[in-house]
Amino acid sequence: MTDAPEPEPPAARAPPVPLLLFSVLVVATCGLVYELITATMASYLLGDSVTQFSLVIGVYLSAMGLGSWLSRFVERRLANRFVHVQLLIAIVGGFSAPALFLGFAVLDTIRPLLFAILIMIGTMVGLEIPLLMRLMPGKQELKDLVARVLAFDYIGALLASIAFPLALLPWLGLVRTSLLFGTFNGLVALWSARAFRHQLVRPRLVTAQALIVVAITGSCLVVGGQIETFGERQLYESPVIFSQKTRYQRLTITRWSDDIRLYIDGNLQFSSADEHRYHESLVHPAFAAREQLASAPARRVLVLGGGDGLAIRELLRYPAIAQIDLVDLDPEMTRLFRETPALTELNGGSLADARVKVHNADAMRWLEDQREAARDEPWDIIVIDLPDPNNLSLGKLYSRAFYRLVRAVLAPDGVAVIQSTSPYLSPQAFWCVVETVDAADLHALPYHAHVPSFGDWGFTLAARSPIARPEGLAFELPEPEALRFLTPELVPTLFAFPLDQRRREVEINRLDTQMLVHYYDQDLHSFGPLTRRAGS
Amino acid sequence: MDLSRRKLLIAGTLGGASLGCRDSREAASVEPLFVGQSPERGHLLRSAALLDHPIDERRKHGVVIVGGGAAGLSAAWRLHKAGMHDFVILELEPALGGTARSGALPRSAHPMGAHYLPTPPPECSELRSLLADLGLIVGYEHDGTPEYRTTAICAAPEERHFFHGTWHPGLYPADGETADEADQWARFWDRLRALDRARDGSGELLFRLPVRRSAGRLRGLDRMSMAAWLDEQGLTSWRLRWYVDYACRDDYGCTLDQTSAFAGLHHFLARGLEDTRDGALLTWPGGNGELLGALHDHLGAHLDMGERVLADHLVYAIDPERGRVRVRDLSAGRSVEIEAEAVLWAAPRFVLRHVLPRGRDPLAPEALSYAPWLVANLELTRSPGGVGASLAWDNVPVIEDPAARNLGYVLATHQEGRDQAIEAGAVITYYQPLAAADPQGLAEARALLLASDARELSEQVLRALEHMHPAIRRQLRALHLHRWGHAMIRPIPGLLFGGALDTARAPIGRVRACATDVGGLPLFEEAFYGALEAADWALARVGRG
Repeated sequence: MTDAPEPEPPAARAPPVPLLLFSVLVVATCGLVYELITATMASYLLGDSVTQFSLVIGVYLSAMGLGSWLSRFVERRLANRFVHVQLLIAIVGGFSAPALFLGFAVLDTIRPLLFAILIMIGTMVGLEIPLLMRLMPGKQELKDLVARVLAFDYIGALLASIAFPLALLPWLGLVRTSLLFGTFNGLVALWSARAFRHQLVRPRLVTAQALIVVAITGSCLVVGGQIETFGERQLYESPVIFSQKTRYQRLTITRWSDDIRLYIDGNLQFSSADEHRYHESLVHPAFAAREQLASAPARRVLVLGGGDGLAIRELLRYPAIAQIDLVDLDPEMTRLFRETPALTELNGGSLADARVKVHNADAMRWLEDQREAARDEPWDIIVIDLPDPNNLSLGKLYSRAFYRLVRAVLAPDGVAVIQSTSPYLSPQAFWCVVETVDAADLHALPYHAHVPSFGDWGFTLAARSPIARPEGLAFELPEPEALRFLTPELVPTLFAFPLDQRRREVEINRLDTQMLVHYYDQDLHSFGPLTRRAGS
Repeated sequence: MDLSRRKLLIAGTLGGASLGCRDSREAASVEPLFVGQSPERGHLLRSAALLDHPIDERRKHGVVIVGGGAAGLSAAWRLHKAGMHDFVILELEPALGGTARSGALPRSAHPMGAHYLPTPPPECSELRSLLADLGLIVGYEHDGTPEYRTTAICAAPEERHFFHGTWHPGLYPADGETADEADQWARFWDRLRALDRARDGSGELLFRLPVRRSAGRLRGLDRMSMAAWLDEQGLTSWRLRWYVDYACRDDYGCTLDQTSAFAGLHHFLARGLEDTRDGALLTWPGGNGELLGALHDHLGAHLDMGERVLADHLVYAIDPERGRVRVRDLSAGRSVEIEAEAVLWAAPRFVLRHVLPRGRDPLAPEALSYAPWLVANLELTRSPGGVGASLAWDNVPVIEDPAARNLGYVLATHQEGRDQAIEAGAVITYYQPLAAADPQGLAEARALLLASDARELSEQVLRALEHMHPAIRRQLRALHLHRWGHAMIRPIPGLLFGGALDTARAPIGRVRACATDVGGLPLFEEAFYGALEAADWALARVGRG
């Protein structure tokens, strides 16, 4: 420090003790709230909450120790230092949750950022209580001082630990909680700047700084709702057991008891509790419908998307199938579902089956390259299980041109099935898929099934010749009783649509207009947050 | 050390010379380069020294094709289809492609000029047959509509325009439109609809491709300008006129006043109106160079193209009566004389005068007029964004001052699949036809284009793009400039049906011109059909027709 020696301002007109103690309470509450936010984020984002909580508490407490120790090096301008420490906590703590959400979206690993924030807050909080004790009016005895300050410090901690899980997290969410407490820290700084104005060097500048910080955290708190929806989409209802950012997307797997869920970029792809409903409905009606056209059982099957191997698990029930080509963009996705024990348990190790050939490529480009070869060897069944058309690059994979391509590689007696979004939540988009399939010179036959974690979900069968509603399951399915959802009696009922889901007038989805993305977007806005199965 | 000193010098000059260049520091870190067609090569023809070289070799071929662009390769395709394989293609540049040449930056291939082809209407059956040969038509629907390779169809969003600081979808600046302007816009399209697919008494389409096959009934429109036609229709809305002016500049390198009304209407009607036909645009990251590359490879699957394509070959003299073509191999420094039954001049028509014997060209020197173009490719660290409509394939600024207009940019990376689109950054292609009021102005603009150094031209490009994307200099990784002194034939009033094109196309001895320019409209279809007719003429000459 190169400060010229300045006379310490007289401590005579010190602020009243009760107010100072109240600020200890606030400061302590803030400190613990930040610790809890960081710990919660760590367990949400990194999984394994026991480890995360224990690590966060340990690191935070030792950082506080570091801060307390560092306080002995602060000798002059105590009041200034105290206000500045407050302001630093207000900024780092206030923006800790938004920063972590943002970091989670863009960084490969969140740990360094998380611990950097934690150590900064811990050190500053450790610094502020000793500073505050030294700023207390000098008449008090040491034993009173320590007793009162520490008592309020720990009461603050109790307040925080009760309020955080019961009120703050459920009502405000992480982002707004952290901004709210950042604002509290800022207000304490502002109040201290006034209360200690006689002890401060350049009090007006310090007050202005505090005002700016309060204005920033306060205004972010007001618009916090938007950050919230951006950030909280990344949040999961259950503990994370795996999370990885691949070249294409962020894959997150959560587990709560027996329920395993896969999220892509924060959007639910399946829940192990009811995925059988989805995948049985996706796969088996196509085989049943194909019996109207073909006499020999299906041998060659193509799966577009569906790197989780769950549709393939259903496909492998058919003994006549000789080859399954799986085209999924993301090699990490197929690797994960081929190698992770908890996941191979779900898909029955389907991706390791010798009949399965994995191609990691863009579905449209890959299929275009197969056009020639498929003339001699078309596919008997094509399962199209792609993320919802929420952007233009996915919309291409629902276009008429794409379905014409599907038609070109589909056997004359083959059947394709397309996951077609929800006929209830996004009716325009659903019927647009059906119309587009029809316009591609295919015969479309829409149906739907109830999948609790998604809602009512729609599918479209497509064939080169007209097909009627299948009246049961395929004869070639050896053990229909092994299924968990479909029965022969249930299959025909899936093809009936209630009045509020009836077909509507929509334009088809052409590659050069991409109406589907527009419809999906419209439906999404008319129905509030519709995040199911949307990918990037 | 030399390099850094040179950089320093450039930066120093720049600091002094470029006024109002805020980010000269960043810009200086990217060295703009001239890439592609070299104007200097063409100008070699002016040197008399060529004629002094002794002939090192004499050869004979059935057909010599001069020029390896759209016309030259189309002619080769036609000859190959007819079973005539005794031909060579002489190309001045080191690479094929002509004005459709492709280039490449690290992030993506890109066009240097022509970059898309609308799917052909049914009457263009020969062109459909070419596209089928190239695997671009992959099948037909039950009603005979061709089905195109999905990855070549230009995907939505196709266009957006920058107007009042915001991006809007489409190309018509509708923001703030008055009721009268909306009515004029509707009337314009009513007028076009009345002419859409219209035929004369004998069943000929009034507007079709190639333009010379259009029925005669409305040819009178070629005598007036598009601006005069709009006046005549009472269409005065500046929005509508900006839109039509954009179309004329984009397709023809001419302003509204300079474009023949027949050509202007032909732009909208030649393939059927957009909203009534089931058409699309075919495009590729590398532009039409990829189409020609596919054509070259298609021929290569049947023929040895290595021995038939002679790049770096400058034709410097032709004896039209004996079919002798003198050509200089610029890379080997040899002179060759090739004797042929037929010489297909698939290069710009104005050059032919300079290689024929003096006085042998019946075409008046100034009969054809060409638009110079400045094209630039920019590699950016991130995709261009902007407020409003999202990034499209074609991104066009609405600029009030006609003298300051440019066509904006096209996204070379637009057609990427999900596997490539994940890569950061983008390549954009900036297009600017240099339009001037009179031939004198045009010559000056061309001279300036060819005389300017890369830094001056890159400043011009960056300033135009900065208007739409203020931070573009900071995102710039590379900038390639392509100068086209004679990019396009200009369909000014009187060109299409005034007789000059007939003279330009007429055989001169064994020589026949067939490049895009003698078609009258700077379109791939004109090059293709001109080449087909010329190839048929050549086949007749060699006794295969």
